Amino acid sequence: MPASKNHRLARPETLTAIGIILVAAGFLIPTFDMRAISALLPATMLIGLILLSLLLLLSDQRKAGAGEEAKPMTGSPKRVIGAFLLIVAYALATDFIGFYVSTAATIPLVAWIFGYRNPLGLLIATVIVTGTIWAIFDFGMSQDFPTGRFWES
Amino acid sequence: MYADLLNALPDVFSLANFAAVVIGVIAGIVVGAMPGLSATMAISVLVPFTFGLEPLVALGLMAGIYNGAMYGGAIPAVLLRIPGTPAAVATTFDGYPMAQKGEGGFALQVAVVSSAFGGVASAFALMLLAPPLSKVTLLFGPSEVFWVAIFGLASIIFLLGGNPVKGLISACFGVFVSVVGSDPIYGNDRFTFGQLEMLDGINIVILLVGLYALPPVIDLLETPLKTDGVKSSKLGTEPIWKALPRMKSYWKTWVRGSFIGIWIGILPGAGGSMAAFMSYNEARRASNTPETWGEGEPEGVAAAEVANNADTASALIPALTLGIPGTAVAAVMLGGLLVHGLQPGPMLFRDNPDIVFGFMWQFLFGAILLVVLGGSLATNSFARLLNLPRPLLGSVIIVLMLIGVYSIHGRMFDVYLMLGFGAIGWVMDRLKFPLPPVVLGLILGGFAEENLRLALRIGRGDPMVLFQNTTSLILVALTIAVIVGPSLKKRFTGKGKAQ
Repeated sequence: MPASKNHRLARPETLTAIGIILVAAGFLIPTFDMRAISALLPATMLIGLILLSLLLLLSDQRKAGAGEEAKPMTGSPKRVIGAFLLIVAYALATDFIGFYVSTAATIPLVAWIFGYRNPLGLLIATVIVTGTIWAIFDFGMSQDFPTGRFWES
Repeated sequence: MYADLLNALPDVFSLANFAAVVIGVIAGIVVGAMPGLSATMAISVLVPFTFGLEPLVALGLMAGIYNGAMYGGAIPAVLLRIPGTPAAVATTFDGYPMAQKGEGGFALQVAVVSSAFGGVASAFALMLLAPPLSKVTLLFGPSEVFWVAIFGLASIIFLLGGNPVKGLISACFGVFVSVVGSDPIYGNDRFTFGQLEMLDGINIVILLVGLYALPPVIDLLETPLKTDGVKSSKLGTEPIWKALPRMKSYWKTWVRGSFIGIWIGILPGAGGSMAAFMSYNEARRASNTPETWGEGEPEGVAAAEVANNADTASALIPALTLGIPGTAVAAVMLGGLLVHGLQPGPMLFRDNPDIVFGFMWQFLFGAILLVVLGGSLATNSFARLLNLPRPLLGSVIIVLMLIGVYSIHGRMFDVYLMLGFGAIGWVMDRLKFPLPPVVLGLILGGFAEENLRLALRIGRGDPMVLFQNTTSLILVALTIAVIVGPSLKKRFTGKGKAQ
């Protein structure tokens, strides 16, 4: 029984509904300190989110009770998590070590990890993309990109 | 009423404005030709880059991309049986069998001419219907505007199909995001948690890029698509002017498909794929040789492509006049208008006629340019795009997303926020939560709140002020009809089938 209970609660829709309820309840707390008219719309939306998520949770649990299998969110979770982590790492690297260095490393790294392994193609693509960005945004439009907090400090 | 339309024409022919449409159409075809990328995603990535541009240049790019992508989706649909965009699914039915018979080039020419026909018809519908509708909406006061916002949200939630609970959750999320920042009347902070970056609220572009651009990038990296590679020599194309006489007999299909596409475009929540399917079915029903359909009938390609392009500009009729987008792309385009300080609604036509009517002309010219830019020679080149490695494409889009979002205010905080929305967008996408209600919630949330509070002030706090005039009551009735209608229809159809 406990195993099956765990399995039922691990369904993606159930987990999402529980997540929405918790987050919405958390956001509801600051509304008590607001003026009534200011809190009207956000509180309505948050209460709406909680009630709707409860409905979603119940409907998903009913499906689980009827023996309906939950579809997995992805066929290759490692690739999805890897892709997302690489994107986050790119943003952090841009913030801490600067835009151009991170970009020049990210383009070939992401493409290589996800299956494009032609060194010459990667080199050409990296040079073209980074060079075009520099020419259009930095040189042409005087757009300043992050230089990196690490170097600043 | 239509004088402003003619007055806006010269501006469209300025070098920058016209070049924007040309570049947009080319970029749109490129994006549409790549499976996994869509017009919605391309416009989301583009919007932040248009901050510094003149509004007509920015809107010309968007109009061009929308038109181009709708045709571009036909290229992999015909050559690989992989629809480049969801709206191109019906194009695969006859397009791919034609390619297997060595008529891929002709199939793409039929697709480009049909797309142009549909796009032109749709642009004319926008020009003819939007101005009178905007005059009507000028009569609206705060309570009517509030109900228009509620009606817009209800239509996109309940007419979009799928699970209405999920649609409502999406809309509540969008409206909640719209209230983050300073209160519009009292100025007190709401959900900023001491972050100065949040005081002005959450910029719509951050949400658009996160929701619409990040999930497709993850998809690109998740499932590397292996194509056979397409050689232009296999297409067997002849110059487009030589192919035109063979298409003469499709005019009835083009006219029928245009009407279907325009109608579907105006209806909130429907979209190009539904228009293409309906047009394809109607054309097959009207055909003398329905048995040849599905085995390489060029008229099938014409029926699908004319309709999925005919819903482009028409989806902007409710979007520009009422602020209610007919499709997801129209919702993103509303975001693009807001970026340039153009609030959709009746005032848009009164205060910025040159821009709004110029935008309509750009849709028309974008559709015409499809034939020139997507013709036989160009189609050969676009077909080669299918050979681009998807991981490389994914990594370049990631860089563009970061640049676009960072450029809004020049701060990394927005990039982290975008990544958060991207993660939420990916989960929503996988669990089939509709994304357009989030965008519409963000656009209409603040708008609805301001007008609700204004109406309540006028009525000295009495909520009955919201129900005290005929227009408000009609809008309430329409909202109820939109909410109850689909379930009643389902019940009656269910009973009919059971009987």
